[in-house]
Amino acid sequence: MKYKDYYAILGLERGASEEQIKKAYRRLARKYHPDVSKEAGAEEKFKEVAEAYQTLKDTDKRAAYDQLGAQRPGEEIRPPPDWQQHWQPSGDDAFSAEGLDLSELFERLRGGRGRGGGVHASMPGQDYEIAVPITIADAYQGTEIDLDLNMPEYDAQGQLRRVPHAFKARIPKGASDGQRLRVPGKGGKGFNGGRNGDLYLNISLRAHPLYRASGHDLYLDLPLAPWEAVLGTSVEVPTPGGPVRLKVPAATQAGRHLRLPRRGLPTPKGGQGDLFAVVLIVVPSVVSEPEAALYRQLQSASAFDPRAHFSEEGSHAH
Amino acid sequence: MRIELTEMMWFEQHAVSLAELAELTSLSAATLEELVSCGAIAPIDADDPQPRFGAAALSAARHAHRLSEDFDLDSQALPLVLGLLERIDGLELQLRELRARLPGPIR
Repeated sequence: MKYKDYYAILGLERGASEEQIKKAYRRLARKYHPDVSKEAGAEEKFKEVAEAYQTLKDTDKRAAYDQLGAQRPGEEIRPPPDWQQHWQPSGDDAFSAEGLDLSELFERLRGGRGRGGGVHASMPGQDYEIAVPITIADAYQGTEIDLDLNMPEYDAQGQLRRVPHAFKARIPKGASDGQRLRVPGKGGKGFNGGRNGDLYLNISLRAHPLYRASGHDLYLDLPLAPWEAVLGTSVEVPTPGGPVRLKVPAATQAGRHLRLPRRGLPTPKGGQGDLFAVVLIVVPSVVSEPEAALYRQLQSASAFDPRAHFSEEGSHAH
Repeated sequence: MRIELTEMMWFEQHAVSLAELAELTSLSAATLEELVSCGAIAPIDADDPQPRFGAAALSAARHAHRLSEDFDLDSQALPLVLGLLERIDGLELQLRELRARLPGPIR
């Protein structure tokens, strides 16, 4: 098993008091807890901090950990036979550190020496959550995904171990960002009659170069040339179900949302969201001289003042 | 060999009793009742003598269990923290929806 320096993880010296250990945990939990921190790697860091605290806050576990001695983090260690004999759970003569990682080792000491481990009590299996990123195309038509998970399960001695599982899951169409699928009983197995835990698949939508999702609706930027916005036009617009023609009315302003009903993402109940084309009026960055001449002609011919309200509303500030 | 997962259901289509909620979340019935009484979780129909709880309540209750374990929160602090987190989630959702409606940069 690989050694972890629990004191270093909590930022403490080896002789830290219980109060110092508790304070260090609270400070780091506030910093890395997934409900508080959105930093990349925060959840992993929090698990590390929580594991260190679970061991060091318990007098027996801390004493057992200290007896392993200070090693280099990441170094492979094997608790010596006299250590195993000294710390094995009461009534568990089959105890062996073989095949356990460091956190599992101290979980085995949960009952404490001489207090018994409650090995025969039934325990419910652990729920297991996994993030499942999918594309907009996946959400539109449904998809099949392969899941390779290492789930915590109870062994014959009632101790948690990580067990690999391979699943194939069909994500039905209609998934939206943040939704969850529950698979009853497919989480960690329960122990001695305890119910199995559930598996939760947390759906997240990957960013798309064209579409932005809001629930089951989609938003798409629709760039128009100035003459298209003024005169109106018909344009081809991509949708997840294939391109459609959209009529742009004359005098369409920038920012207008043109609705294409039922062209968004399917809903789980068989409906469909809408797709909204958000109008942007864009101008060419380079124009030829004939084009520039036409624009100057238009400028002379038109009485349109887009900033007429500046002089009226600006004067009210005085 | 891959096991095919066939019995999947949308979490939002859940409804469970208080006893089932306690079993699924490892929270005691007393803690759950406290959370209901202060509004941190709500039954689908408050007038139902056998209240049932939907996905939002199940999610909040599971969250409550995790928070109370990770931060050692008491019965006063827990509903407050849950409420604040729910508010943050709601605001983040609004923000994502508003951002989706805003035009992107000109290409």
